[in-house]
Order: sequence, then C-alpha cells, then structure tokens
Amino acid sequence: MTTALALQLAIAGISVGSIYALVALAIVIPFKASGVLNFGQGEIVTLGAYAALILTQMALPYPIVLAGVLVLGAVGGMVIERVLIRPIVKAPEFTLVIATFAIGLLIKGVISVRFGDSPNTIDGPFGTDPIVAAGLRFNPTSLWILACTALVTVGVILFFRYTRLGKAMRAVSVNAEAARLMGIRVGTVYRWSWAISTAIGALAGLLVAPLIGINPEIGQLILRGLLAAVIGGFTSVPGAIVGGIAVGLIETFSGVLIGSAFKNLVPFLLLMVLLVFRPQGLFGAADIKRV
Amino acid sequence: MKYRLTVEQLAVRFGGLQAVRDMSLLVAPGEIRGLIGPNGAGKTTVINAITGAVAIAAGRVLLDDAPMSGLTAHAISRRGIGRTFQHVEPFGELSVLDNVLLGVGRHAPVSFGQAAFATPRAREREAQAVRETLDVLERFDLLAYRDTPAAELPFGVLKRMDLARALAARPTLLLMDEPTSGMSESEADRAIAAARALAESQGITLLVIEHNMRVMMALAHSVTVMQNGAVIAEGTPTEIQRNRTVIDAYLGEEAVDAAD
Amino acid sequence: MASRRTTILALSAVVLFGAAAAPLGSYPVYLLSLAMINIIAAVGLNLLTGNSGQISLCHSSFMAIGAYTSTLLAAKLGVPFWAAIPLGALLAAAMGALVGAPASRLEGIYLALATLGFLQIVQIVIEELASLTGGVRGLTVPKAAVAGVALGEYARFLIVFGCCTLAIWIANNLLASRVGRELNAVRLSPPAAQALGISVGRVKLAAFALAAAYAGVAGGLQAIVVGFIDPVEFGVSAALRQITFIVVGGMGSVAGSVIGAAVLSGLPEVLRPVKEYSDLIYTLILLGFLIFIPRGLVTVWHALARRLRGPDVPPVAEAGQ
Repeated sequence: MTTALALQLAIAGISVGSIYALVALAIVIPFKASGVLNFGQGEIVTLGAYAALILTQMALPYPIVLAGVLVLGAVGGMVIERVLIRPIVKAPEFTLVIATFAIGLLIKGVISVRFGDSPNTIDGPFGTDPIVAAGLRFNPTSLWILACTALVTVGVILFFRYTRLGKAMRAVSVNAEAARLMGIRVGTVYRWSWAISTAIGALAGLLVAPLIGINPEIGQLILRGLLAAVIGGFTSVPGAIVGGIAVGLIETFSGVLIGSAFKNLVPFLLLMVLLVFRPQGLFGAADIKRV
Repeated sequence: MKYRLTVEQLAVRFGGLQAVRDMSLLVAPGEIRGLIGPNGAGKTTVINAITGAVAIAAGRVLLDDAPMSGLTAHAISRRGIGRTFQHVEPFGELSVLDNVLLGVGRHAPVSFGQAAFATPRAREREAQAVRETLDVLERFDLLAYRDTPAAELPFGVLKRMDLARALAARPTLLLMDEPTSGMSESEADRAIAAARALAESQGITLLVIEHNMRVMMALAHSVTVMQNGAVIAEGTPTEIQRNRTVIDAYLGEEAVDAAD
Repeated sequence: MASRRTTILALSAVVLFGAAAAPLGSYPVYLLSLAMINIIAAVGLNLLTGNSGQISLCHSSFMAIGAYTSTLLAAKLGVPFWAAIPLGALLAAAMGALVGAPASRLEGIYLALATLGFLQIVQIVIEELASLTGGVRGLTVPKAAVAGVALGEYARFLIVFGCCTLAIWIANNLLASRVGRELNAVRLSPPAAQALGISVGRVKLAAFALAAAYAGVAGGLQAIVVGFIDPVEFGVSAALRQITFIVVGGMGSVAGSVIGAAVLSGLPEVLRPVKEYSDLIYTLILLGFLIFIPRGLVTVWHALARRLRGPDVPPVAEAGQ
C-alpha cells in the first residue's frame, strides 16, 4: 500500500468515522444524563436524512435545511422523551432496551409507509468535484462532515463545561437524587439531553445523506455508533469521538485488506471481544455492570 | 484440636480503602461466636471475604483445614458455609416455600433430565424436599406465610425466612449478619432460640454479627470485637462487657450517635 | 409466574386446535403450524429472559442455526428430517452455550449489545457463505418425507403439534422443579443464590443453551413447514417479534409465552387488509404493553380470574406440589 493510498483511506476512514462519532455522541449524552441507552438512535439519523430530503425538496437553501433538521431533531427528541421515555424511566433495564428499540422500529415503520423503500438522495452543500490538494483528492462532502463533527465536538465540550444546563446535566449524571435536592430540575435536564442527542443524530443523517443516499435502512448505522460508544467507554464524550474515528478507520482499512466478503464481521467481532474483556472501553470507568 | 473456621491474617481492600487488616479468628466446631464492633469495623466485610463474595487481598480462610480462599462463592457455599444477609436478599417474587426449598433442594438433587421429564424419581425427590421444607417452616413459625411472595413479607418475618433458608441448606458453618435487626424483642428471642436449638442439635457452628447486646449475651459462647478492620478484643461475653478497650470503642460511637 | 391451572388451560386450548385442525383446509393448518412454531420459540426465550433474567436480542439467530443446519444436513447429506432437526437443535444449543459463557458475565445494555453483535455475526456469515447457504437469496428446504413419501400439510402440522406439546410440557416441568427455581433465583438475587451453592454463571449459561435448543427446534420445524429459508427470516425483526410475544403474554411464565405467541401469530392474518401497517401495529402493541401492561396478558387473566372467584380464595401459585 502506498503512502498516498493509505492517506486517502485514512481521510475516508476519518470522515466516515465522524458520522459514527456523531451517532456515538448522540447515544452517550442521554445515557450519561438519564442512564437510558437509546437503541432507536439509528432511526433518528434516518429521520434527519428524510427531514433533509423534505426540506430540500421544498427548494430551501442549505443553511435553512441544516437549521431545520437540527430543530426538527431536537423537537422530535423532546416529544419522544416526554411521551414514551418518561413513563418508563424507572422500569427495569430490559424494558428500556426493548422500548427504545421499538421506538426506532416505529420511526422506521412510519418512514417506510410514507416514503416506501425507493432510494432518494440529496446533494452535499459543496458539490461533488473533488478538491485536490497536496496530490490528494478530497471529497468536499467528507471535509464538510469532518468540519461539522469538529464543531459539534467542541460545542458539546464547551457546553458541558461552561453552561449552566451543561453543568446541571453532569450533576444529574453523577447523582440524580442529589442534583434534585440541589434544586436542579431533573426532568428538564432529561428533556434537553434527549433534545441535544436527537439533534446531533438528525444532523448526522443530513450529513451522511449525500454519501450513502436516503433510505429506511440508514438506521443500521447505530451498530457502528454503538461499537464506537463501547470503544470510547459509554460515558465519555471525547471517548465517543475517538471511538467513532477508530471504527471508521478500522472499517475502511479492513475493507481494503480483507476484501468485501467478511470485512463486515470485523466490527462485530471487535465488539464481542471488547464486551467480554474490556467493556469499559478505552475511556470509561471500570465499574461496569459485570456479574 | 481442629478448628471449624480458621481465618489467618485476613486483609481486604476496596480501592484505596483498607476495610479489614490482619484479622485472625479461630472458631471451634459447634461454637457460637459473636462478632461485634462499632459501625464500619469491617464485620460484614469479613463475612463477605469468608463466603467469597469479595476478593481477599492477603491472608487465608480455612474450613476444617481445607482452604476456602480462592474458591468461587458458590463452591464455598457447597463446602458447607452458609450465610444470612444484613439486608436480607429474598427471592422476592418467589413464595416463602420456594425460597426455603432452594435451600433444602440441594440435598436431594434432581438432574436436569429428570426435572425436564418429571420422572417418578424427580417427583419423589421434590415431594421429599417439600416435606423437609414444611418442617423447617414450622420450626420457624413461617407456615402461615408459605405461599406469600417474599417481597410482601413484613421485615421481621423476612429476616426469619432468611435464617430458615440458610439453615435449610444444612451448613456446617453459618455466618449470620445482624439476624435480629428489624425484629421486635419477642420475635428476636424466638428466632434466636430456634436458631440456637437447630444449631446445637445439628452441630452447626455459628459466627454471628449482632448489635443487640442482649441477644449476643444470651446466644454467644465467646465474642470477638473488631474496630477499624482489626480485632481489638476477644473473650466470653461477660469479659467483653467489662473490657476497657471495647467500652472505649463503643463509647466513641455512642458519643457520635448522641451528637446526631 | 402462572399457576398450573392456567398452563393446563393453555395446553387444552392447544389440544383443541390440534383436533379442530383436521377438517380445515391446508392454509389454515399452515398458519396454525406457524403459530405453534412461534410458541416453541417464545417458550424458550421466556425461560432465558423472563426466568433467568437475561436479555437476548439474538434468539432468532439460534433459530437460524437450527434451520440452516437441519436443511443443509437434509439437502447435502440426505439426513431425514426427524434426525436433522434434533441435530440442528443440538448445534444451536452448543452455540447457545458458546454465547452464554461470556454473556453470563454481562448485564443490561452490555448483554443486549453482545447478543445484538452475535445476531449480526450470524447474519453476515449466512449471507457471505452463499455457496453453502444460498446467501441472501435463501435456500429451498427438501421436502420432509417418511419412507419416501413427502409429508402433507396436516402431517407436518401434527409433527409441529407434537413438538410444541412436548416443548410446553418440558418447560412446565422445569419451572416446577429445582431447575426452574434456580433460573428465577439467579435473576432475583445472585448473592443469595451463590450463598445457597448455586453457580450463577453456570445456571445462566445453561439457560442460554436451553433457550437456543428451543429456538433450534423451532427453526428446523419452520424450515420444513415453510419449505424455504432466508436470513431475513431470522434477523432483528424476528428477534423483536419473539420478544413481543413474551412481553405481551407475560414474562417468566409458560402460559404467557403460549398466550402471547398464539394471540400475536393470529395478528398478521387479522391485519391482512392493512398489510403495510402490520409492522407498525406490532411495534405499537409492544410499546403499549411495555408502558401500560408490562406484566403481560397473563396477569390480566389472573386478575380477572381472581375477580370472578371472589376475594376469599387465595390465588397464588402452587409451585412445588
């Protein structure tokens, strides 16, 4: 493999990994705040992609589409949290896992019924002509994804560190009861953690649509996102990003090195190995639920 | 003389915290040993270490000269060490009968195949186990609750069930963690009398953590006192009551309690 | 957990089906076979999830292993169905133990993830070994035959019926014995179970193998009833459908598995006119039950029975008798 090829693959891997990073982030944020793992997050991404489709078909300019997707994602998340999650937030883990799964399937079902299986697509904001620099060709959409992910990451880190809501969220994730006693409105914190996570998920849908098209199966991304979250340690924000990039790189390189037949096995075998030997991933706390 | 329970220089650490340090204990077969000490002395941790529920940092545990440290928790239980729990630990959804059956059933094991096909032998073993269980329930005044799910029991009755269940498994050594806490005076007296009678009739050795001094005096042959993870005194109940170090240790705690 | 009486009632309903099915046309009989296959799968899953408390998102993968193994044995080696299906179930059980070994040390979301990972692995393996398994295009199943004569719809129904009855009977026996008590014990209080000499890890592993065996049988039967298998049949939707059966019916109870699977198996037929919405409706039912009736229909039944009988009669389970 030449350096140039390796570099190209690395860029491709990092940009695909950025999507996984966003999905992982969307999973980790509400998990940290409310302890609920949203197995339906993949379908939020799908929702974002279809929202982008609708808005684009209304001939709205890209920045409006972007804003629209974020807002719709956030509102969707708040509705889901209030209507479907709040009643079961105290339920046993089984119920939460299956319920969020079911919510995902619900969303996918509604989308399938409304739009059918026929694939759609939208264009990236900067066209498809590759940008050539230093002898390498870059897909402008990939670069745009990288830029957005970097912005979101910085935004989220700043949010948790410096804003009142962010700090409240951190307090709730450490000890919800204590936070409540300190006067923090835990319900509000939950709602916003979901809103932020679904907004990020929807954004991921908008960003990834030009690369892989728009169809109800986009939700499969969740599997990569979950792997990224495991690698990063479920409660770590930087971990989610690193995990996502790692998964992207692993996927891209194993595609070239192993050949397309069994390359899809690699992420899942990695997942199994991690869960058995190091469920806390690279950055997570060691006191994982192990029997 | 062979000791039933030997604890040699036991040390247990949780992260940076030394919960038990250099703790040694020798309990003779058939003895009833009390284990007392102010809160946080490490008493429950010692029990957890003996039963294999927590990892041992140093030292060893022997049952009749056979090493227990290093075995898995269920293997240690099978060797004959039983325990009751400070905060109970019922199989909440199951009835009192089923809870105690789980203790009894170990002695007439039914193989998976026999259970799956409900062979005559399986049914006979089950009936035998039920009979033995009803016997235990009667002895502990639990017959009235036989079909009640454990989660619905009043706390005192729950503790009684915990005791009955542990004894049903016929341990040679039973570790009891505050068996009478939550019980009324008369409940406590009855439960302890039943436990002592059963222990003596079956030669079970008891190691009992208790805060209730009255119960401890009536029950124990000898008492070990712990503070801050180590043993500070040992002797008969009367000796311990008069021991200066012990009084200071408890007075310290009393002062803290009084200040609340 | 259901009382013996409820299970006997459920069993009677099954027997009635069996007898009533004889005069029916082959399509209704086919549907009944599918329903009973669902029951077998649900009973197995409930033992694992409802009783031993382990989430499994890969139950359908064990069905796949059973289905593909028995089909390939029949197709490539001419093994007759009555040997191929048990062999398929055996392999499924072995894989169940393999998954159960590490899985028994995981809980909650980590267990869910591990089983989800396994499901994906099985899907990919089936799809990629296309020369053997037919890949995404699926595999035709050789007709089940006895002494050279292919079995008709009703004959296969009787086989499924026999297996289903056996499956229910065994599960019932297990739950009323120390095996069942131990399954529940490791879910309700692992420390107390350990203290009573029960190896939590071993019981959990055994539960996985047991559930996988049930799924393997169901898979093998599905292969000969439908005549065709493909990986989609055994994917995430199927796994979730089986979880819906036990949630709707009642977790931890054999009667619950039977009720849930039987009622929901009838649903696709009832929903025929609105076919595109059937997946959606399934999901809504699942969500509805999770939120409002998490203990399942079985508890509704018990509550009703109690109401009808009057307040004096103790309603509780007579386990151990």
